[in-house]
Amino acid sequence: MKLRTIKIGTIAIVASLLIVGCSGNSNKNKTSGFEIPDSIFSDKPLMISQEAMEDIIDNISSPVEMAALLKSTGVPFNQKYLASTDRIDKLNTNFKQALNLGIYGCDLGYLNMYEKTGSVLSNMQAIKTLANELRIGQFFDFSTIKRLATNNENLDSLMYISVSSFNNMDQYLRQSNRSNISSLIVTGMWVEGMYLATQVASKAPSEEVVERVADQKLVLNDLLLILKNYKGDPNYENLVKEVEKIKKEYDNVKITYEMGEPEAKEIDGMLIIVQNDKQHIDISDETLANIINIIEEVRNKIINM
Amino acid sequence: MKNIVKILISLLFTLQATFILGQSDELVNVCALSIGNATYLKDYKVGLSGSSVSPPSAKYNVIMNKGTMYKITVCNAESSPGQAVVKLLEGASMLGTNMKPDGSFLSAVGFQCQKTGMYTIEISFKGGLEGKAVAILSYINAN
Repeated sequence: MKLRTIKIGTIAIVASLLIVGCSGNSNKNKTSGFEIPDSIFSDKPLMISQEAMEDIIDNISSPVEMAALLKSTGVPFNQKYLASTDRIDKLNTNFKQALNLGIYGCDLGYLNMYEKTGSVLSNMQAIKTLANELRIGQFFDFSTIKRLATNNENLDSLMYISVSSFNNMDQYLRQSNRSNISSLIVTGMWVEGMYLATQVASKAPSEEVVERVADQKLVLNDLLLILKNYKGDPNYENLVKEVEKIKKEYDNVKITYEMGEPEAKEIDGMLIIVQNDKQHIDISDETLANIINIIEEVRNKIINM
Repeated sequence: MKNIVKILISLLFTLQATFILGQSDELVNVCALSIGNATYLKDYKVGLSGSSVSPPSAKYNVIMNKGTMYKITVCNAESSPGQAVVKLLEGASMLGTNMKPDGSFLSAVGFQCQKTGMYTIEISFKGGLEGKAVAILSYINAN
């Protein structure tokens, strides 16, 4: 029986190698070697299904959107908001590395959005180091990003390659049963996006930015749901406690809706849907100040791990 | 022994996934060039088998933010017999689709979001045919 199983397994691997070897796949940045997922030996059940987990991780909106909003309000770029890359060598566990990879990933979006391509390189070096430590560096196209950044080439291409590299890392982690790492990257990105937005809101509060900060209440519950999945690990348990502190402040944010009929029209071969629902946010100055403080506290704990 | 079998199965799936994804990644790159004055956010790779009885579809939930104009661009694989139909839904309500009532297709679906929340992008193939496609979610730059 054992011999038969080994034979079947060997045939399966050889067949797969032949398929991949003959595929002529031009995307050379994809899997340069075999990775055996950390979690493959773990049979611990998840509180929610893997599919639901992936769905939630996928839902959480891109930090690029937050950076775009900040830029659209006319707020100038501020280098001081960015996480320092000096402590990379102190990040000596996958837990710390994944959270901080999310932080630097968000900062990369902010840098790209403001076309601060000269500052991208140290940020990218940090991302490269952490991604390699997590064995997902093969999905980040460093050489192309570096070329686009140093030559000040097409911003859209730079943005596309940066964002899709993170999407590919995330996709691979989830396919290889390492959603725990994905959940940390997403959490780091979300916290840093919130940090950037709340720093802007504290200095130059605009209605749009305050509203975006407030309506992240909707995302918080999802974030907590995925992190609680791994609460058996003391690191996750501590992180859940930190995120719950944020949630506590958000309990004072009230969101109400006024329903309306959507309108659709065709413009230049594209269907444009205009939503006529209205969203009302009720957030006091005190609540906003508390959210700004708690986000800063949690974010600083992550970057000083 | 159980762990060895798990490793072998994992390697098999990883390698096959790499092969399949490699092909659709090329389509993503091509499709990303056609999004125009928009910034890429996510891509959805879809491959569905045909069925005239119960046409299959793929659904992706995504949180969209108030004040953002989103754009969903669809590109069919050259070898795909079916043409992708993309629908944007909020809960069970359809907000819009790229397929016109006469069966022809629009190049993209734009959505001016006024309410932060969960939306669903549903992709199927016209007539329940087999098909492969990529949908790209992007946002249209405000300035």
